[in-house]
Amino acid sequence: MTQPSGQELNSERDLGQQRSLTSGQMAWFRFRSNPSSIIGAFIVLSVIFLAIFAPLIAPSPQSAGSFVDFINRHSPPSKDFWFGTDNVGRDIFSRVIFGYRVSLGLVIGVLGFAVPFGVFLGLLAGYFGNWTEFVIMRFTDIMLAIPPLAMALAITAVLSPNLINAMIAITMLWWTWHTRLIYRIVKAQMNEDYVEAAKVSGASHFHIMFRELLPNCVSAISVKISLDAGFVILFGAALSFLGLGVQPPTPDLGTMVSTGSEYLPEYWWEALMPGLAILYAILGFNLLGDGLRDMMDVEV
Amino acid sequence: MQENILEVRDLNISFSNYGKTSKVLRNVNLNVLRGERVSLIGQSGSGKTVTMRTIIGTLPTPPAIIESGEILYERKNLLALNRIERNKIKGSGISIILQDPLLSFNPVLTILRQMEDIIKYSDVRRGLSRGHKERKELICETLAKVQLFDNERILDSYPIMLSGGMRQRVLIGMALLNQPKLLIADEPGTALDVTTQKEILDLLNMLVANEGLSLLFITHNLGVVREMADRIYVMQSGKIVETNHRENIFNTPQDPYTISLMESVPPLYGKKVIDVKNSNPIPDEMIKISNLTKSFPVRTGFLNRITSENHAVKSINLSINDGDIFGIAGESGSGKTTIAKILVGLHQPSAGQIRINKSNLEQLVELKDYRKLIQIVYQNPGSSLNRKRTIAQILSVPLKFSDYTDKMIKDRTNELLNMVDLPISYSSMYPHELSGGQKQRVAIARALSLKPKIIVLDEPTSALDVLVQGTVIDLLQRLKKELGLTYIFISHDLSLMRNFCNKIAIMFKGEICESGETKDIFSNPKHLYTKALISSIPVISDLEESLKPKVTDEERSMVLQNTRKI
Repeated sequence: MTQPSGQELNSERDLGQQRSLTSGQMAWFRFRSNPSSIIGAFIVLSVIFLAIFAPLIAPSPQSAGSFVDFINRHSPPSKDFWFGTDNVGRDIFSRVIFGYRVSLGLVIGVLGFAVPFGVFLGLLAGYFGNWTEFVIMRFTDIMLAIPPLAMALAITAVLSPNLINAMIAITMLWWTWHTRLIYRIVKAQMNEDYVEAAKVSGASHFHIMFRELLPNCVSAISVKISLDAGFVILFGAALSFLGLGVQPPTPDLGTMVSTGSEYLPEYWWEALMPGLAILYAILGFNLLGDGLRDMMDVEV
Repeated sequence: MQENILEVRDLNISFSNYGKTSKVLRNVNLNVLRGERVSLIGQSGSGKTVTMRTIIGTLPTPPAIIESGEILYERKNLLALNRIERNKIKGSGISIILQDPLLSFNPVLTILRQMEDIIKYSDVRRGLSRGHKERKELICETLAKVQLFDNERILDSYPIMLSGGMRQRVLIGMALLNQPKLLIADEPGTALDVTTQKEILDLLNMLVANEGLSLLFITHNLGVVREMADRIYVMQSGKIVETNHRENIFNTPQDPYTISLMESVPPLYGKKVIDVKNSNPIPDEMIKISNLTKSFPVRTGFLNRITSENHAVKSINLSINDGDIFGIAGESGSGKTTIAKILVGLHQPSAGQIRINKSNLEQLVELKDYRKLIQIVYQNPGSSLNRKRTIAQILSVPLKFSDYTDKMIKDRTNELLNMVDLPISYSSMYPHELSGGQKQRVAIARALSLKPKIIVLDEPTSALDVLVQGTVIDLLQRLKKELGLTYIFISHDLSLMRNFCNKIAIMFKGEICESGETKDIFSNPKHLYTKALISSIPVISDLEESLKPKVTDEERSMVLQNTRKI
């Protein structure tokens, strides 16, 4: 039974050579070898860049407000107005850039509340099980059964149609998906011995939920967030299109498509350009999300 | 000179992962004669399975790169064949039996459907057309070959409804459906209990003899090889280090690696066996279990009412002394782990009493200090260590919840790493950066952190290779001596227990059928089940074989029949 102690060291060194890459390096390799995720990351970074430095980049920053320039109204895309101008002569390109600010603000507002709330409920339900699970998950099911647009209509009709209320409406629907995701992951993790080992070590519920289980959910959460961002922008645009979101003159991509569509088909750029801007941002977030998913090897 | 049915010549294979290429097989040469049983033995990661997958043509390329070499099956080079010709051989000439009988089945199709599909596809390849009736006839014939006679029931079952041994038999049957000439078996029976494994190996041997098959048997278990091979190849990190006839390998091994493999197998009988004694001259009673019963409610129906109870353990009586290494042996489902979980307070006993250190368990469990009395090491460190936490964080958990300050935690963590022979620099690493043996050392260190008196070891070495297993056992022995621990060692590996435990209890269907000093139980087993269990253990020398208790086949099947899930 007694072994020369070098034996294990030798065989372990062999293993060590194969494992010389850290998990970070391996993840980066997977991310890099997928061209669409690089494109996605580039698009998302460009959108964030445009939104942050909007006043510096926009050729005509005053177009973001209630600026009027009747001489140039309905002018098609040209050297001066890349995306053309709208019905009161405002530069659509500048308004799109400022529109990204509103969209990203909406994403941050919605996910900033929905994700922590949803994750917390998912952790509770998955960890405690029994009636906690029953109450939380059945409530989640009920919320999922409500048609999202009807819910948003109801909320903005009762309150008043503006950005904050649109945000509240979307948030109230959005947390459910995170609860379901985290609940599923935690349920699977509960079968792992490390949870039991922590219990035997005398660890508190708080410790097990937030220090042991939560780190194992982080990669799934981050993938979900990047996929979500695109859909939140889309949903916000849909609300604005219906007149329930951001009110003029604040530049919002959905509102711009809505107003522009009145002048179709002659002044096609007024609806098409903001529409393409929405497409661009959502495409970016989705490609990035897919790339992250492959990289972290999680199911969402 | 007999003719080769399979010959592998100078096979070189690399894997390309994350932009790096590593060599997996180096100049592998092996051959199987007609009607011969050949064994390929090696530790995990030695390249056995890559060799096997290259032969049957399921090696994924990329990431694998076949650099050079030939695989000749009946003088045809498989690597040079096109896909259609290759598939013909895949389905009929060479058949394979995989390790895990449950994973090899499609869980949503019946056995009949899965067996019929095999015949259908081979008919398509060979241009035959057999009807449902003929197919079923062939299936029934094949099942009879693998000694399954309850055809109707088995064929209508889904894989989950059969016991592990039955699944393995069906799997062998499936491999025989197309009358193969060469059978490749990748660790069959490893996932099964020893008594079932023994039956499966006997069956394979019988089939090889009766059907005139050639067998390429891939395994890590030397004891199994002794029963299953005429000729043996020993593989280490992608190279064949030694090859010879069975007797020569076992009697006069040449390569140092083969020798160390031989020595790492714990002996069951003979001079090399270590008789373990309790180091305390007059030991106190540490744990007293009397009449312990644990049952789990079975809920059925729409209202989830409790309709019956499933007894995991029944009227257990045990007495464990201070300084004992007390072994609890038994096959899967015998209730070993339930006892462990009750002892560390994860399950409540349904009935009976447990006294630890002269206090009642129910009162102890409520106390914080209970964690300082008894701790547990799990079987699989990959699961018991949180992948997302560093080694230092993992080791600090028990300390954090036991009034240690940050400074004390850091000191204690370093001290613990020292105790288990790991460098302190490992504290900032994550579990996946460590090897299996090192991970298990971390798990042991965590169990030691609160200086417990008792440690429950739940199969601590069964996920490790034999060579690493030896070093972990040595570590456990050293720690016991230094810290005066009491171990409860739960395992199904009886040869290991023979050399590690001073007392042993054999569990069978939730009850203890025999317990006592290890030496007495092995030299003179009383219960028929104990005899059947010990006689099923594969050993590596004729001497041990002759000293095993003798059990006739009828006796064995009589005892075991009760355990089979029907």
